[in-house]
Amino acid sequence: MFANQALRPWWYLLVAVLLALLPWASPNPYYVNLAQEVAILAIAGIGLNILLGLSGQISLGQAGFFAVSAYGSALLSLRLGWPLAASVMLGVIMSGLAGLVVGSIALRARTHYLAMVTLAFGFIVGILAQRWTGFTGGSMGLVGVPPLNWGDPRSAARNFLWTAAALFLAVQITSDFVMQSRSGRVLRTISESESFAATVGINAAAWRVGAFVVSAMLAGLAGALFAHQSGYVSSDAFNLDRSLAMLIVVVVGGLGHRYGPVLGAVFLVAMNQAIADLYTYSNFIFGALLLAVMVFLPDGLSGLGALVRRKRPASLRRNEAGPGAPGVGDIVNLPLIAVARGEPLLQLQQVSKSYFGLAALSDVSMTVRAGTVHALIGPNGAGKSTLINTICGLYRADSGVIRLAEHDITQWPAHRRARLGLARTFQNLQLIGGLSVIENVMLGVPDRGGVVKAFVSWLCGRPFESEQRARARALLGFLGIEGFADVSPGDLSYGHRKLAELARALAGQPQLMLLDEPIAGINEEESRLIAAGIGRLREAGVTILLVEHDMPFVMSVADEITVLDYGQKIAFGAPDAVRANPVVVEAYLGVETA
Amino acid sequence: MIATDLVQVLLSGIALGSVYTLLAMGLFLTYATSRALNFGQGDFLALAAFLGMAGMLAGMPLIAVVIGVAICMAALGMLIERFAVRRIISRSKAGAAHLGWILSTLGFGMMLQNVIALAWGKSRYYSPPLFSSGEKQLVSLFGAGVFLEELAIGAAALVLAGTMYVLLYRSDWGRRVAAVSFDRHTAMLLGIDVKRTVMWSYVVMALLTGAAGLLVGPLSSIQSHMGMLFLLKAFAAISIGGFTNPAGLLIGGIAFGVIESLSNYVDSTFGDLYPFIIVLLFLIVRPMGLFGERKTDVR
Amino acid sequence: MNVKRGIGWVIGIAILALSAQAVAENVKVGVVQALSGPPAIVDFGESYLQGIEAALREYKAARPKHEVEIVTYNDEANPQRAVSLVQRLISNDRVSAVIGTVNAASVVAFSPILQQAQIPVLIGPSTATDITARFIAQKPSYVFRCSMVENHMIDAVLDWAIKRYKKIGLIHTTSGYGMFALAEIQKGMAQRNVQLVAVESGAPTVTDMTPQILKLKNAGVELLLVYHDSPELIYRAFQKVDYKPAVAASWGLSSKMTVNVIGKDAIEGAVMAQALDLNNAKAKGFDEMMTRALGDKYRWPVVAALGYDAMRIMLGAIDRAGANAARIRDALESTEGFAAVSGIPAKPFSATDHECVDPSQVFMGVWRGGRVVKLDN
Repeated sequence: MFANQALRPWWYLLVAVLLALLPWASPNPYYVNLAQEVAILAIAGIGLNILLGLSGQISLGQAGFFAVSAYGSALLSLRLGWPLAASVMLGVIMSGLAGLVVGSIALRARTHYLAMVTLAFGFIVGILAQRWTGFTGGSMGLVGVPPLNWGDPRSAARNFLWTAAALFLAVQITSDFVMQSRSGRVLRTISESESFAATVGINAAAWRVGAFVVSAMLAGLAGALFAHQSGYVSSDAFNLDRSLAMLIVVVVGGLGHRYGPVLGAVFLVAMNQAIADLYTYSNFIFGALLLAVMVFLPDGLSGLGALVRRKRPASLRRNEAGPGAPGVGDIVNLPLIAVARGEPLLQLQQVSKSYFGLAALSDVSMTVRAGTVHALIGPNGAGKSTLINTICGLYRADSGVIRLAEHDITQWPAHRRARLGLARTFQNLQLIGGLSVIENVMLGVPDRGGVVKAFVSWLCGRPFESEQRARARALLGFLGIEGFADVSPGDLSYGHRKLAELARALAGQPQLMLLDEPIAGINEEESRLIAAGIGRLREAGVTILLVEHDMPFVMSVADEITVLDYGQKIAFGAPDAVRANPVVVEAYLGVETA
Repeated sequence: MIATDLVQVLLSGIALGSVYTLLAMGLFLTYATSRALNFGQGDFLALAAFLGMAGMLAGMPLIAVVIGVAICMAALGMLIERFAVRRIISRSKAGAAHLGWILSTLGFGMMLQNVIALAWGKSRYYSPPLFSSGEKQLVSLFGAGVFLEELAIGAAALVLAGTMYVLLYRSDWGRRVAAVSFDRHTAMLLGIDVKRTVMWSYVVMALLTGAAGLLVGPLSSIQSHMGMLFLLKAFAAISIGGFTNPAGLLIGGIAFGVIESLSNYVDSTFGDLYPFIIVLLFLIVRPMGLFGERKTDVR
Repeated sequence: MNVKRGIGWVIGIAILALSAQAVAENVKVGVVQALSGPPAIVDFGESYLQGIEAALREYKAARPKHEVEIVTYNDEANPQRAVSLVQRLISNDRVSAVIGTVNAASVVAFSPILQQAQIPVLIGPSTATDITARFIAQKPSYVFRCSMVENHMIDAVLDWAIKRYKKIGLIHTTSGYGMFALAEIQKGMAQRNVQLVAVESGAPTVTDMTPQILKLKNAGVELLLVYHDSPELIYRAFQKVDYKPAVAASWGLSSKMTVNVIGKDAIEGAVMAQALDLNNAKAKGFDEMMTRALGDKYRWPVVAALGYDAMRIMLGAIDRAGANAARIRDALESTEGFAAVSGIPAKPFSATDHECVDPSQVFMGVWRGGRVVKLDN
């Protein structure tokens, strides 16, 4: 959107001025009222966009959060005489708490079950609002809720619009920042794969609940504004239709797009007005329009711009790493765990894992020494992938102990292990389609806080997150794919994607890298590159545990080899010794021709 | 609670639950093949009920009404798949949150709703009884009065759930559905005509919904606006049963119907609240339904 | 001099003549009604609108003084939409008066806005009790109503009921209307020192009321007060549990749609409050006129008649006042000699009473042979 990000603050300032002038631009007060509705809907929509568009969690109960805050703020100001600023704030906090509760109990539910949980929540709030008439006034409503007019009833519409528009702009700016910064990347990652997110150190559960809380608070802010808009709150305003309206706003606007919610809000308010006097055919028209938008504009109204604009030519220039490219030492520094080279770094003691009574691993014990390249080989179905997943924490071992340096990590969740310096790549590539290559790599760069600092830099149009970006770029340069930094991973060749994944794993300054079939499916030149890379990483002190079928490759890079068959360790030793081991030869001969 | 009361309440709940079960089977099928649910399915139900009513009032024989409604429903199933679902699901990338189908099917349903309102008005109606003329539509069962249609819909739910079970696990069509459900691309590589399989799942969904609509007409009053209500309850039923097998849907559907009936008996002031609280609590304990198994998304 | 004066006179008369011509003004009346959504509400909204449109047709056919048009919006029984649409009527369509709507919550929400904008509103067919009373103290109040008032109807029903039955039960919907009726009925019973023997409710989402009816039967209810949007579900359950109490209901039961859906025989004898006596010649004429004009679509005599009368009162006021909202208000309040088809009196309003139907015009109606007729005491 911004041709030049230095213009960002000026652009926002311009929008602010335009919003402030809106009351004079509107032909009559009715349009001021519509603008208020758009602002309220857009605020709630931005909340749902963060929840659904970014974190991938659906909610059909946003009206519930909307209602909690609307009643909270209305009752506090009406019955207890609180000033609006305080009552709105507490109302929003109450919605946030409701979001915390719903988000937590919904943590294990996904997709349609999550839809049901939120739907039920919305129903429950709606029913209580309707029946608990002594408290909420029910359908007949609370009358005389103090309106938000800055104490001036004659300019009420204008003053309310200014308040709502200012809040909308603040929420929109924050949302813009989220979409362009680390939190947005993290949420998009969780949305695609929570397991993968855990392996780059993301606490997916906390982020998911967090997204719920934020979206509930924004729905709550909209609800509180609504309560003080006309001074009348009736339970009829909090039914399923309102939750569906919010869904229409974000999906029609374009899920996960920055300006989706506001576009959707304008659409919905305009539609509702357009069909108000066409009641005989209103459902038909509205339905047909929803259908058409969804069928012809996959990205909703946000996709309209892309239809008009020429498709941007993807810059697929490949830059060779020049002489100025950073050395390994610059990239792999700051070891998190001090384990002397050659000392045991990862130790497995009698680790077992079974599924449905079928043993995938039985009593596997092994040691990976620091600074070595350790290969894990074995026929298909030997349990190699299970072992890797058990080490990185995606699976929990049934019994046994796993130690990383001095830590017993057996019961640790995956994201905690990742933060200790355990990085991995996947047999089936895990790159997040919604992010560019460099953003994928930045996922691996540990978060060093400084959100506020980043936000201020971003808002002022200065470079932000530059340290992470520079580091990611350096890693891409190190692996010779810097030229693809701003490309979507889907546009890369398979080999380049493997390299990009390697870069992402390296970004976390890992102590131990788990590489799951690093050269499967790529050409010889690229596998030589990877072999060389592995060698350089070892020099830099990174320990590597890799699973690979390609024997010549394994023999050329590995210092030590562990052989698995039927979930059991059948051999261990230096490459030459393993190759000569009759048990290993037999295991391979039994399954595939060696 | 008197014993006959209990029987009466349970029977009412089972009849309602059967409607939810039939709808839930439709949801389940389209979800399996296309990962989409038809949010207009409730409006399909309403249309089938109105068509059935129109046919019966016009004096058509029952069998002709059934065939007529089936043809209309099948055509609608094809239409919605072709125009509201196919393009949207074919471009949804793995993992990306594309929920366009929610709104496209919702929009399709709204159009149907408007058509019903134009043809029959926005009021409430009863469809004439399907199986009897005059007064004798009531039979006595363990001392409780039951409408023939209530028995019929219970039987239909049982038979259709059984048939579905057999078809899904024993027939070629079932294998194709399972393959497409597992992975569209793999299914394509196996030589399965994915498009056709998806389309047929929508046809079967529409037929199941049509059966429910025909039977619900004489049971409860019908109106152009009724769709969403039934759909949501079917959705609750499938959340209890899980998106995995027809037996779960039967249990989920009947359970939800019975819970609804019982809570209206125990405390009708909050008769609509308890079922949703129970579903919520159930999902906290079993977040993937009764028969849903938790899959880790390790790739 | 005389010539000059003569010319002056001529000009003066010409101006007067021209301005008499110019007095024919364009007047817009806003109508907000629930025209889609739950059937019980739409039946009200559509029927009332049918009455309004019939009155306007007649008015236009009779070479009117002013050019009157209505701007009709559908509020979907949603208060927020109703507020937004009323704001649109005031600021964008610049209407001189407003008529509407069914939903009490919508009426409560938009009345203060119209009062503040000084645009007269004729509320209907909402029945919630204290709507005009909230504004009557404000001089002048712009809020009028042309509909039944719930507590008048409940008083009529309860007076009738307690004389005849010992065991009275209630089934009500949980929507805003039902919760409101519940409170009013309990208040009315308490005033009469009697108690309901059983109270059951059915949410609008409930599609089978067998359980509730069983409990009413077990409680031995002889007279059932029905304040529910779907009485057909209640009658359905009567059949199932073999139970036939007497029924007294809200005026919702007087719609022809209910007899269609419940059946002529089943509904026979059910009573409700009414303000339209079809045995009255004018009412009969109206009924026949509407049936001719609309056929099946005309389904609720009393509601359509109230809409018809409301619009005629409005048109009468416009005739006298033109497009000026404040003058229309005054003219509404001072309406006299009005010939209603419903039970509305010749002078519907006064400075202290903005309800056009008074308790004295409310009587009990009963279903007899597929028609609602006045119940003889």
